[in-house]
Amino acid sequence: MAEEFNTDSMLDMFLYESGQLLEKLEGIILEKQDADCFDDSDINEIFRVMHTIKGSSGVLMYENITKVTHKLEDVFYYLRESHPDDVPHMELVEKVLAVSDFVTGELDKLKSGETPDGDEKQLVEDLDEFLSRLKGEIKKQGIEMPQANRHVEPTQFYITPVAGDDSHFYRISIHYRSDTQMSNLRAYSATYALKEVAEDLLYTPDDILSNEASADVIVAEGFHMLLQTKSSKEEVIALIDSSEAEEINFDELTKEEYGNALGEFGREDAMPAAQPAEAAKADDKEAKKEGPKPGDYVVKTKEAGKGKTLAKNQPKQQSIISVNVEKMDALMDLIGELVIAEAVVLQNPDLKVPGLELSNFQKASGQLSKITTELQEVIMSMRMMPLTNVFQKMRRIVFDVSRKLGKDIELEVIGENTEVDKNIIEHITDPLMHLVRNSVDHGIEENAADRTSIGKPAKGKITLEAKNEGGKVYISVKDDGKGLNKEKLYQKALEKGVIENKPMNEFSDKEIFRFITLPGFSTKEEVTEYSGRGVGMDVVVKNIQTISGRLDISSVEFEGSEMTLVIPLTLAIINGIVVQVGNSPFVIETASIKEFVRVGEDDLIHEPSGEEYIVLRGECYPFIRLNEKYDLPDSINKIEEGIIVVLEHEGSQVCVLIDKLLQEQEIVVKPIPSYVRKVKGLSGCTQLGDGSIALILDIAGLLMHDGERR
Amino acid sequence: MKILLAEDDFASRKFMDKQLSRYGECDVMVDGEEAVDAFMMALEDGEPYDLACLDVMMPVMDGYQVLKAIRDIEAQKGIPKSKRVKVIMTTALNDERNVKMAFELGCEAYAGKPIDVEKFEKVLKKLGLI
Repeated sequence: MAEEFNTDSMLDMFLYESGQLLEKLEGIILEKQDADCFDDSDINEIFRVMHTIKGSSGVLMYENITKVTHKLEDVFYYLRESHPDDVPHMELVEKVLAVSDFVTGELDKLKSGETPDGDEKQLVEDLDEFLSRLKGEIKKQGIEMPQANRHVEPTQFYITPVAGDDSHFYRISIHYRSDTQMSNLRAYSATYALKEVAEDLLYTPDDILSNEASADVIVAEGFHMLLQTKSSKEEVIALIDSSEAEEINFDELTKEEYGNALGEFGREDAMPAAQPAEAAKADDKEAKKEGPKPGDYVVKTKEAGKGKTLAKNQPKQQSIISVNVEKMDALMDLIGELVIAEAVVLQNPDLKVPGLELSNFQKASGQLSKITTELQEVIMSMRMMPLTNVFQKMRRIVFDVSRKLGKDIELEVIGENTEVDKNIIEHITDPLMHLVRNSVDHGIEENAADRTSIGKPAKGKITLEAKNEGGKVYISVKDDGKGLNKEKLYQKALEKGVIENKPMNEFSDKEIFRFITLPGFSTKEEVTEYSGRGVGMDVVVKNIQTISGRLDISSVEFEGSEMTLVIPLTLAIINGIVVQVGNSPFVIETASIKEFVRVGEDDLIHEPSGEEYIVLRGECYPFIRLNEKYDLPDSINKIEEGIIVVLEHEGSQVCVLIDKLLQEQEIVVKPIPSYVRKVKGLSGCTQLGDGSIALILDIAGLLMHDGERR
Repeated sequence: MKILLAEDDFASRKFMDKQLSRYGECDVMVDGEEAVDAFMMALEDGEPYDLACLDVMMPVMDGYQVLKAIRDIEAQKGIPKSKRVKVIMTTALNDERNVKMAFELGCEAYAGKPIDVEKFEKVLKKLGLI
C-alpha cells in the first residue's frame, strides 16, 4: 500500500538502493562486531556506503540524511587514511548502527509518503565528539594527519514532485443534447474552467477548437475528460457548465485506473503505475543499452481527431520482472483448482463403465499429470525465498539484546540459504525473533562466572540453524545456557493452575517443556525489557500452528536448550492418502502415517471408562474408532475386518480404525467453510476425483481431543 | 536574473511564468526550437540567460534535445563551466532513466511535476541564483 503512494521512480530507486546498502552495512558490522577492529576492506566498504547514500540523499535534498551520513563518512575517512590503533571498536559499531537506524527510519517515512523530518542534531554531535577524540588519538600516536576529507557539494539536484497522494482522479463524460449548437465551444469552456484546478487534464476529442467537425463527434459520442486534481468532486462539478448537457458522468478513479485510462486517451507516457523498486532496478540494466535519448519526447504535430502522441516507442526487453504477490497467489489457487479438476477428469465415474478401451486415454492422462506436477513445482519454486534476510535480522537482535543485558554471546548461523515459501517467511519472522530473544535473555546465564564454574566457556553461544528435510523445514535456535529445570517448570505450572493436579512423573519430559508454551506461563521472576511477561511463547506456538507448523523443545539442564520450529515447505498442496469409513472418504497426510496394520480382537485393551488401546509389538497406543467419533453409519465395527492406521504427530501416536484404503493423491487443502461448526480432529477438506468432498484428518486435533477425554 | 522558460502546456506555462517572474525577467517559449533560438539570440547579444527551465515534452524539439543543444553551443563557444546557464528540467517524466540521462546531458536540476515550489526555491539558492 505504502509503495503505491509514490510513482516517482527516482525516489523508488533511492529507497531501494539505500535500503540495499544499509542491509549490506549491517551485515558487515554484525559480522565484525566481535573482532577487535574493522579491516581495511570493511572500512573502505562502509566509507563507500556512506558516501553513496550521502551523495544520493544530497541530490534529492534530504538534508538530515546527508548530514548524518556525511559525518560518519568523515569518521571512516580518518580511519582509512591514518589507520590509528586503539579505536574503541564497540563504540564505533554502535555509532554505525545508530546511523543506520536513523537512515532506515527516515527511509521508512519516505516509503509511507511522509517527509523525512527526523532530528539529526544529537547524532551529528555524538559523531563529532567521537571524531574529535579519534583525531586526538591520531595526533597522540604521531601519525600524520591526513588532509581534511574534501566534500564536493552536489551540483545537480532532483526535485521530487509534490506528493500526489491527495490528488483525486476523475473520468468525466459529458453528453450534450443532440440539438446543441457549438458543442465544441461548450466543451472547451469546460476544459478551460477545469484547467484552473487541474494538475493534469486530458480530453478527447482534443482538437475541439481547431477542428469544427469535432462538434459533431462531441454530440454523437460525448465529450470525455480525464482529470487529476486536488479539488473535491463537488468543486469540480461546480466548475463545469452543465447547461445544455444532457448527462454528465462522473467517476472517481484510483491512481492505477487513471494510469491505464491515460493510455486509452492516447497518451503513451501513461503513468508507470506504481512500479516496484525491483522492476526499476531490472529496468536499469536495460537502460544502459536502451536508455532514452534526447529527441524521444518530441510532441508530434497532432493529426485531426487523434490524441497527443509521443514519438516514444521503444521495445522493452527484460529478463526479470517483478510480479504482484496477489497475482502469484491467484495463480497458485488456480493451479490448485487445476489439480482438482485433473483428478475429477482422470477419476471420472464415467470411465468406470466396463469394457471401455482406455489405453490411449491412460497415455494422455499420464502426460497431463506430469505437466500439472511440473506446474506445481514451478509455482512453488517461484514463491521460494532464502531465509538470509530473516537470519540477518536475528543477528541484529542478538547483538542488541546481548549488549543491553551485558552478556557476551556469539551467534552461529547455519544454512541461511535454505529456501522457504514467501508466505511462510512472513509468518515465522516474529516467532523466531521471540525465540532468539528468549535464548539470549533466559537461556544464557546472567554471569559469565556461572558458566565458567561448571566448565563452560565464558562466552555464550547461540546457534541458529535451518535445514530442509523431507518436505519440512527445521529452524532451530539452540543455546548453551542453563537449560530448563523440569522441577521448577512443574511447580510453576501447578502454581499458575495451568495444568491438572497430577504427579510430576506422569508427565513426559516433552510435556513438561511444553508448559512454557501455555498462556500465562513464565518462569522468570523478573520481567525484563525483552521477555518474561508470559506473553510470547503461547503466541509463538499459535503463530506457528496457523501455518501448520509445530514447536519442539528439548533441553538438558545446565547444558542448554533447543527450540525447533518444524514447518511444512508449502501450505496449499499436500500428499495424502484417501481412506474410507462408512460412506465417507477421509484424507490423511501421507507424512503423518507410520504404518497400516491389521490386528485382532486380542490386541485390544478395554478400559472400564470405555477407552480402548491397541497393543502393537509390546507398545500401547490409544485407539479411536472414527465411525463412532463422527457417527458414521454402515461402517465396519469389527476390528479384524478393518484396517488400523498408526498416526504420529510430535512424537505421540494414535491409531484409528478405517474400512478401506482408496488411493494416494495430491490433495489441495481448502479450509472448512465458516458456516460449518469447527470440528475437532478435522483441519480442512478437499474435493476428490469423483466430485465428492473428503475431510482432512488433523492428527494434532485428534490427539488433543483424545487427551481431553482422558 | 534572466530566465528562459520553455513550456508548451498553457496551464503549466502560466504557473511557471508567475513563479519565475518573482526572481527576474522571464522569457516564455512554447516549443523546443524557439527555446534554442532564444538562447542563441541572448548569447549573441551578450546578455545570456542565467536560468533555463525546460519542459521535456514539447513540439519540434524535446527538452533533452534543447538541453543538449544548449550545452553543445556553450562548449563550442568555449564558455567555462561556471558561466554556463543553469538548467532545470521541469517534467512529469520522472523516470529514473530519464533523470539520469538529463543529468548526464548536463542539467543542474530535475524537477518532477507537479513542482514543489519550496524545494524549487531551495535549489535556486543552492545554485547561487537567488
